[in-house]
Order: sequence, then C-alpha cells, then structure tokens
Amino acid sequence: MHTINKQKTIQNVILYGLLLIGGVFSVLPMIYMISTSLKPNGALYEYPPHFFPKLSQITLENYVYIFNQEKFYLNFLNSLVVAILTIVFAAIIASALAFCIARFRFPGRKVLFALVIGTMIIPGTTLIITQYQLATYFKLTNKLLGLVPFYVAWVIPFSTFMIKNYIESIPRDFDEAVYVDGGSIFTVFFRIVMPLASPAIASVSIFNFLTAWDEYQWALTVINDNAKRTLPIAISGFFGQHQFTQWGYVFAMSMASLLPVLIIFICCQKYFVSGLQTGGIKG
Amino acid sequence: MKKQSTKKVLALATSAAMMLTAFTACGSSQAPSTTPTQQTSEAQSEEAKDDSTNGDTVTINFWHHYSAQSAENETLMNVLIPKFEEENPGYKVNAVSHDWSDLHDKILISASSQTLPDVARLDIAWVPEFQKMNILVPLDQEMSDFEEVSSELLPSAMSTAQIKGSYYALALNTNTKIMFYNEEAFNDAGLSAPKTMDDMLAAAQKLSGTNANGQQVWGLDEPALAGWNVLPYIWSNGGEITDENYTKATGYLNSEATVNAVKMLADMYKNSEFTGFNSGDIPMTDGFGTGRYMMLLEGPWKTSELAGAYPDFKYATCEVPAGSAGSISVLGGEDIAMFNTANKEGAWKFMKFMTSDFAEEEMAKCGQIPVNKEALDSDVVANADYAPFLDAITTAKARPPVASWSEIDNELTTAMTSIISEGADVQETLDALATKVDALLAE
Amino acid sequence: MGIKSKRDKFQIGALLLPGVMVFALFTIYPITKLFYMSFFEWNFGTMLEHPFCGIKNYIDVLSDETFRTAFVNTIIYTITTVPGQMILGLLVAAFINSIPRFRITFRIVYYIPVITSWVIVSLVFRYIFNTEGMLNYFITNVIHISTANIPWLDTRAGGMFVLILLGIWKGVGWNMVVFLAALQSVPQELYESAEMDGCGSIAKFFYITIPCIKSTILFALVMLTIGGFNAFTSIKMITGGKPMHKTETVLTWMYYKAFNAGEFGYAAALSFIVAITLILLAILQFKAMQQSDSVE
Repeated sequence: MHTINKQKTIQNVILYGLLLIGGVFSVLPMIYMISTSLKPNGALYEYPPHFFPKLSQITLENYVYIFNQEKFYLNFLNSLVVAILTIVFAAIIASALAFCIARFRFPGRKVLFALVIGTMIIPGTTLIITQYQLATYFKLTNKLLGLVPFYVAWVIPFSTFMIKNYIESIPRDFDEAVYVDGGSIFTVFFRIVMPLASPAIASVSIFNFLTAWDEYQWALTVINDNAKRTLPIAISGFFGQHQFTQWGYVFAMSMASLLPVLIIFICCQKYFVSGLQTGGIKG
Repeated sequence: MKKQSTKKVLALATSAAMMLTAFTACGSSQAPSTTPTQQTSEAQSEEAKDDSTNGDTVTINFWHHYSAQSAENETLMNVLIPKFEEENPGYKVNAVSHDWSDLHDKILISASSQTLPDVARLDIAWVPEFQKMNILVPLDQEMSDFEEVSSELLPSAMSTAQIKGSYYALALNTNTKIMFYNEEAFNDAGLSAPKTMDDMLAAAQKLSGTNANGQQVWGLDEPALAGWNVLPYIWSNGGEITDENYTKATGYLNSEATVNAVKMLADMYKNSEFTGFNSGDIPMTDGFGTGRYMMLLEGPWKTSELAGAYPDFKYATCEVPAGSAGSISVLGGEDIAMFNTANKEGAWKFMKFMTSDFAEEEMAKCGQIPVNKEALDSDVVANADYAPFLDAITTAKARPPVASWSEIDNELTTAMTSIISEGADVQETLDALATKVDALLAE
Repeated sequence: MGIKSKRDKFQIGALLLPGVMVFALFTIYPITKLFYMSFFEWNFGTMLEHPFCGIKNYIDVLSDETFRTAFVNTIIYTITTVPGQMILGLLVAAFINSIPRFRITFRIVYYIPVITSWVIVSLVFRYIFNTEGMLNYFITNVIHISTANIPWLDTRAGGMFVLILLGIWKGVGWNMVVFLAALQSVPQELYESAEMDGCGSIAKFFYITIPCIKSTILFALVMLTIGGFNAFTSIKMITGGKPMHKTETVLTWMYYKAFNAGEFGYAAALSFIVAITLILLAILQFKAMQQSDSVE
C-alpha cells in the first residue's frame, strides 16, 4: 500500500510538472503581450531587448492613450452588441431546429439535417463573395447590425448539431408527460426542452460569442465607417503595413479587448465541459 | 390562432431576454449599466445619423489614407472638417481612414456593391483605373466653375487628373522621394552625401555590417519592391519600364539598363547591404531612427514622422543619387475625386474646400506639399523647407498613367521579389515580365 | 412522435421556419449562386455583363501555379496542425483528468489561447517572430543555437512553420476541453477491471481510453480538418501570403482573387473546389472510422 501511494505521488509530481511546462507555453505569448504593452513605445527596439520591462520603465501611457480614445469605447460597444445579438438569435433558431430534428419525423427532416452537416463542413469564407452580394442587395453593407444575420447563419449549423445531440440524450418521458396533460409542442419546447438543454445552449453560445467577437475578415469587408468598426478591425488599424507600428498601442488595446472575454470565460467555464459532456458529441 | 401565435412570439422574446440577462450577468463586471436593448437603439439611431440625407443635414462621406495616428489626420479631423462644417451649415463630413492598399481594394469592392463614398483622396496612380471603371465624375463637364477652381492649382499636378481630354479629379497634393541618410554615421565614416549611385554603393558597402551591439546594419532600405520603390533606381540608371506612349514594355522593361539597375539592387541584397521589404524586417522609421538602416528614399511626410518618433535622431537629405541618366525620382501625390453616386453639390463644395489655400496651408504644416499656387507661395511652405522636394519634383517621373497600373505593379512586385530575394535570373525574369506587361498595356 | 393535429403541424412549422429561412437565404442561395457564377466571366471590368465561359474558370484555377502552392500549403497546414492539436490536447486532458487538484486552474490556463482573438494572437506571433524580435535574440544571444537571426517570416518554410505553430498552440485548449468531456464519460469500472488484470497507465490509455472516446476523436478530426481549411486571419495578418504568394492558403488566395483582383468567377470556381474537397475528406474520414470500428 505504501509503495502504491509513493508511486502515485511521483506520478502526480510528473503530471503537475508537465502541465506546468505546457501551461507556461500557453500563456507565454500573452505575458509577452502584457509586458510589451507596459513598455514605452520608444523602448521596443532597445538593445538588449527585455522580456519584462525594467521597473523604472513600466508605464501606463499606452493604456492611457487607448482609454482616452472615444473610438475605443465605440468599437468595444459595437463588438459587444454584435456578439450578443448573434448568440441570442443563434440560440433560439438553432435550438428550435435541433428540437424538431431530434424529436419529430417531418417531411424533409433528413434533407435538413444533411444541410446542417454539409454547411458545417463548408467554410463560411468560401461563400463570402455571394454573401457579399446578398448583403449589398439587402443594403446590409456598412451597417453594424448587418453583420448579425451573417454571423448567425455561420454559427447555426454547428450550434444545431451540438444542441440536437444534447436533446437526444434528454429522455422523452418528460415530453410525454406534458403531452398527456394536453400541453402543446410549444409548451414542451419552451418549458421542458429549452431549460433542460440549457447547458448545451450555454456552451455553444460561448463558442458563438467568441466567433462573433473574433470575426475579422467579413467585418473588414463590409464595414466602412470608423464608428461602426468592431474591435478586431480597430486593433488591426493600429498595425501599419508600411510605416511604423506602435506595438504598445496595439497590445494595450488587445489586452483591453481580451479582458472581458476572459472574465466571461472564467465565470461560465463550467458550461464548457458540462455542455459538451452529456452526449454533446456523439457523432 | 393569431392571438395564440403572438403570445408565442412574446414567449420567444421573453426567453431571449432571459438568456440575455443570464449572459450579461456573467459578464456584468465589465459592462455595467448598459442593457442590450439600449445599445441596439443607440446603434440604430447612429445609423439614421449616417444616412446621407437626413432632414436638413447632408453627410459627405470622405475616404482617405492619411494614417490614423498621423498629424495629417489630426489636422483633418480637428481643423479642416470643423472649419468646413462651420462655413457650410447643413453639411457634415464623415471622414474614414484606410490603409493605403486597403483603400484601393475597398473602393473596388464598394463599386461593385454601390456603396462608394462621396469623395475620396486617391493616389494619382489609381485615377486612370477608376476612370476606366466609370465611377468618377468628369468634373469639367459637370461643374460650371471648374475652370475657376482648377486655375488656382498647378497645371502639372492637374494633369494627373486628365484622361482623354476630361478632368476626373482635382489635384490635392504632390510629392516625391529624396534620399534620407544617417548623418552621424556618414560623418563618422568620413563619407559625404550620397549624391551619385556610386557614392550610394560605396556608402552602403562601408556602412553595412554589424554595429557595436553585434546587430546587423544595412546600407539601404526599401519597405517594399513595388514600382514606387524600385523605379527611382531604374530610371536614374537609364532604365525604363515602357515606351513614351505606355504601349509597350518589351525592349524597355528588359533593356540592358533596366537589367543592370535591378542587378545592382539584387547584388546589394545578396551582400546584406539592402533590405526592408521582407515581412520580418524592422519597419522603415524604426530601422532608420535606431541606426539599423543607413539610407532610404522617402517623401516629405517622413520629416514629421521622424520628429515625432525619434526626435533626437540626426539625419540629412539629398536628391536621389544620380546615375547615368541623372537623378530621377518617382512622382507621387494624391488627387481628390468624387464618385458618380455622390451628393454632387456637397462633394464639390468639400473638394473645393480641401484644395483651397487655407486647407492646403494647414496640410502643408504636416508635410503635404500643396498644389494650390497661393499656398505654395505662403510662408508656411517657405518655412517648411520643401526646397529639396520641390527641386526633385521638377525632374521626377510619373508612374505610367494607365488603367492597368495596379495589375502591372503587382506583377512588377512579384518579379522584383523573385529576383532580389530569391536570386532568380534578372534577364529571364524581366523578359517574362515584359511580355506580361505588354499584354496588360494592350487591354 | 407522430404529427397528428393541425396545431402540431403549425407549431413545428413555426419552430422550423426561422432556421429554414436562414439556411435558404444565407447558405443555399449563396452556394447555388456561387456554383452558377463559377461558369461565368465575372470581373470588375465586366460588372454589368457576364459572358458564359463554361469550365474555363475551373481550368484557370487548376492550372494556376499559385493555387497549387496554396492548396499544398493548406494540406500541409491541415495535416500538421490537426494531429498536433489532437495529440497535445488529448495528453493535456488525460493529465488534467488524473490530477487531484487545480483542475480548473489548468483548464483556464490552457484555454486562454482559444478565447483570444485570432487578430490578437496573430499580431503577437508576428511580433515574436520578427527577424529582429525577442525570439531571435534569445536564439542567437542567449542560448547561441544560431549565429545569425533566422528570417522566420520571409520564406515559405519559415512562414508556414510560424503559422502551423500558431495553429497548434491556439487549438490545444479546444481539444483539451472536448477530450476532457469525453474522458469523464468513460466508465470507471473498465479501468478498475483493467487494473485487476495488471494494466499500467499507458496500457489503460491505449486499450480502454482511446477506444472509448473514438467518436470524440472522429468529431475532433472532422471539425479540425474543417478548421484547417478555414485558416485565414492568421495568414492575412502574419505573412499576408508573402513572399510572392508562397504562403497563401486556398481561402486567402480566393479572397485575394475576389476582392483584390476582382476575378469573382475564378474565385467562385476556387471556392467550389475547396468545398468539394472538404466534403470528400469528411466522407472519407467517416468511412475510415466506420471501417476501423467493424474490424474490431
């Protein structure tokens, strides 16, 4: 018994050690980003370079600059609005689809599910040309809210797929009980399935939030005005192609946009595993 | 049934709102006091504001490529636009800054979706291309006071806006490149200003190597290998890229003089005396300001940029090093044009304002060389000491004013990259390039 | 459940309607239109009239050397990042699953790259891998592996290496979460009985864990392959396809052709080729997995 315990301890030490090394690599670039954002802009090409700024050098000037820019708050708000609307619409539409596909045999069900899988496989970017024409036709270009329908359309296949698998793991007895009491399909959907599937909905919503919050190319293509730009475009705007790049500003702004996502993630992180766990992925 | 479904819609909405609350509760620590519905209505009202005609104010959308953090952009946003709006009640200007290459693409994309701005500041090299797409307004035909306005601007600059007898833009500013070099390093090495190509080669050879910290130092820097970058070297050494009428490249782009000029750059790169165009290289201003790049050809804006980023750095300027054909720089500059979807009255007002002596003088303070005759005679220009640039402009040549220039430029960049950084055969590559350019010119 | 009453039909229809509309409008229509466009000459120059050109666009794409380079790059990117992420992600998940404490802390740490936006991580990597950047300083002046700075971003091999490294680094966390979920659903009894038979940790991992989470592996494989083909922002921000379009991937090249060169017909044909390749790959992966299932 004693040796087994000892073995366990050694094993744990090794595991913790390996995890620690991996963990360091996973956050190292972020730490470098933070340390650069705390350096004055002039020190970026100093020699020898320092991974951490010297104590006397540490400055908040980059953050002060960013937070004094009215545009930053606007860009931030834009990203937030777009991301929230995207997850709300996607959650409702995808769970309704998922519920119907999981529970009923209606004509066209197979086709619909094949579509879900098929569009999950085709990258959204391949459709960018015709989606751009569509956006033009509906006069959605250069409109902040014009981003939302496209983001929703992009995330729905994956969301539907995940939520459908989850719903299939919920016993039908609950549904039956409601039907026996004379409840309608709507009642089952809103009262039973939506609440029970909420871990799956929450977990895909977090993915969807990231997708919308993160999205760069589509927003860059359709949005023209400064006031309507989302954060990723605003950040890349600080990155000059041919001239000099004020890395301090770039990274300060990156940090400011990363923080809320980090907070949301830490608050909601339990949904990640639980949503994926219970039959979330059954292929 | 109807009643039932409205109720369900309500239910849907409520559940949505609930989810929303659940979510914002998660992230409430960073987004206090703004509920999503408020944000939405804000976003919507903002959209209403931006509609070009909303009641009595007209919004003029103006796209440009003054970089977002530049002094020019500050002047535009804080001096020029407020002044224009004050002088022209009922008009608002919505100015948008794009990266130079993004602006070109954005205009192409917007043209296809009919979402062009009213007015844009265009690189003179793009005007023929956009004219060919039929998106520019022929100003001399549509504006009754065009003669009056254009007579205040330099005829040589206005010629960049003239295509097939019509004017499609107003000249806004002009520029060219001259040699900037690290004065201290040159003095320390006992070198004088690199006035000829031979001087430049000798200086590059002498100054390239490693510095006291063991870091690599390069004699010459170019941030890209496009026409704008390589043409001064080609032209000054007697090379050409097309004939005078811009109809043929074979025999010019692959002539002996052009080949030799390109070879010179390729050899310099091989000897680690020339760099800057690779993705991983130090950006131009930083490299120059920190003493890693010794020489570079740049425009008048570099002065204020260096003063801002490296105020203590000592540099000097001279004309583009002369080769067998003399000192020939590349003519740059911007025109201001309106698109055919514009609110023409407002757009024209704004264009006239931007080319007025007041606006041109203000922009002259941040390194833009005016083309307004009155502004050119002003004290601002005299004090700014544009003399070296103004001299260089008289001998500078324009890039071919053809509609296919952007495509030609892409091909040229690719060919230059394969020769200079990959060591491809100069003659062979330029022969192939000339054939391609011939086809593009014939289009 | 069978659908009987009119009310049921109506309610199912109402639930399906928004989703079906979104699919029809934003997916089916664009795909159909794309397919249609791929047979026409459709350029900035010919914006108003689009002459039919048969399969010319497809021939142009397939005979275009840059496309082939981009395609090879995409394949290289996919076959390196997919196993890279999966193996590391599975290892991390297995490790986290066997430690008694700090599970959540490690989960968060490993997930940080996933939640950081592509734009940000791309800029950070670009900054780190600059020829004059911190990494080269470390390599040449601190550990002295190389005497000269390595031009990471300036060559095809270097650029691809950085992109792949970023792809793996950013993806490990996602795999970790997915596999962690799967590992926790493996019945504990199986391990216990294996222990009785004297199996070690490694044997247990290969004989119990892997077979039990096979469906998850397939799921991750398919999703990551799609993700590999979807790589876009990192290339745009880090190499921009440079030098000479040698680090383009299929999607960045498609975007360039469409929105820089204005050759929409060409780009449409390219998109279609990519879509078909991916669908075939996915079918292949499913088939391969099924086969290995039936062998057992």
